[in-house]
Amino acid sequence: MITIKHEGCIFCVGCSSVCPANAIEAVGTRMEIHPEKCIDCGLCVKACPANVITLHKGIKNCRDLPREDKDDKK
Amino acid sequence: MKYDHDVIIIGGGPSGSTFARAVAAEGMDVLVIDKRKEIGVPVRCGEGLGQREVISQGLEIPRQCYSTEITGAKVIAPNGKSIVWKDDNTKGWVLERKIFDKWLCELAIEKGAKVKTYTRALEVLKDTHGKINGVKLSHGGREPYDIHAPLIISAEGMESMMARQMGFKTVHSLYDVDTCYQYEMKPYNHENLIELYFGNKIAPRGYVWIFPKCDKKANVGIGIGGNLINGKKGGSAYGATEGTIDGAAPKHLLDEFIKNNEQLKDASTLVDFGGIISVGAPIDEFVKDNCMVIGTAAKQVDPIHGGGIALAMESAMLAASIVLDAYKEKNYSKEKLFEYDKQWRATAGKKVAKRLMLRKVMEKVSDDDLNHIFNSITDHDLEQTMEGKFAGPVAKIIAGRPQLLGVLSALLPGKK
Repeated sequence: MITIKHEGCIFCVGCSSVCPANAIEAVGTRMEIHPEKCIDCGLCVKACPANVITLHKGIKNCRDLPREDKDDKK
Repeated sequence: MKYDHDVIIIGGGPSGSTFARAVAAEGMDVLVIDKRKEIGVPVRCGEGLGQREVISQGLEIPRQCYSTEITGAKVIAPNGKSIVWKDDNTKGWVLERKIFDKWLCELAIEKGAKVKTYTRALEVLKDTHGKINGVKLSHGGREPYDIHAPLIISAEGMESMMARQMGFKTVHSLYDVDTCYQYEMKPYNHENLIELYFGNKIAPRGYVWIFPKCDKKANVGIGIGGNLINGKKGGSAYGATEGTIDGAAPKHLLDEFIKNNEQLKDASTLVDFGGIISVGAPIDEFVKDNCMVIGTAAKQVDPIHGGGIALAMESAMLAASIVLDAYKEKNYSKEKLFEYDKQWRATAGKKVAKRLMLRKVMEKVSDDDLNHIFNSITDHDLEQTMEGKFAGPVAKIIAGRPQLLGVLSALLPGKK
């Protein structure tokens, strides 16, 4: 799954326009991730101009995220 | 069945508002929804717009919608040589998108369209036969509700989530996008020219732009090829593919450019923004039964400069004329709406296809060759190139450096 550091997000929706799995959506004023749809492809990580998306390969559950990224899970 | 509206437009940007204005003026019952709290905000755009396109639509842009007028363009080669191109075709504006988008939207409202902000489309609704007949909406995350209409227009821009649900292939590949970062900066002494800096070191497969704004302000931005980015957090998990540039994040490169620019290195930033631009080919089909895609959602964007406003407004007007025809017969079948697809590809589509060809050639050219190209051509050649007449400029370039023929031959007629 991926996490987004929302503080640095410039809300450009670039990540969701390249996401082949429709796993990121702009909701209200922030990007929301659907971990169950994410296929770990990392395209959003590369497309993000603000460099705020991190890919955690193989992790499917928020509980298994590294501690510093837990706050960014949504 | 009983419909709530004649047409629902998803997205209140330039294409959505232009379309709404055109069809509402002829008496159609129009609903425009926009997921943003405020039309036009946040701005994710370089804000340049050519005058020619707007005049051809019979619109007069009020003074408050643009920050400054521009007279031409200045293109700068990697070695610093510049070409200034100034004529009637290069006149334009640097807009204030917040105000411009709202103004376009207001024009639609004045013609009778209904606009709802902070309203997100959650789902495209279909009847028991699989025919699209409405959308599920939610206002600010509240209880969802259904709205029905015989025609749904996706004018969603880059994101195009509803267009995907309608079955259009609007997902972008990294090769066909540029990822961009932009600052609004002050002070910058400009000459009311758009400045474009080329070079594989400065901006691989793209350019740095400086768009002048009023009161010594300027939009300073960078766009680089989406597939070239590597060395970013998490990106390296995939290993570097050949040709990627380590650490080539747009913000990083833009900061580097600003540091090396005499005027900008001490300037302050007023706004940080960014986004990704489509620079690929338009999608394969723009229409299906009871739905259409217009503007950037259909990837109707200029592959050379990434500008989408003019093309979006143009395609919205075309789509509106076809829809009005369909409205008279109450027939929104794919066959009826296909005329929009056909006419767009016969007009604007041809221009976009040529620009795409040019982009694909440009990305193969090295810095040294770029310097040579800028040395050989004049502003007149630039104009020819942008109009799609490549033969003259290519001949001049090849005369001095025949080895470029291999790359540039793709632009010559009779070759694929």
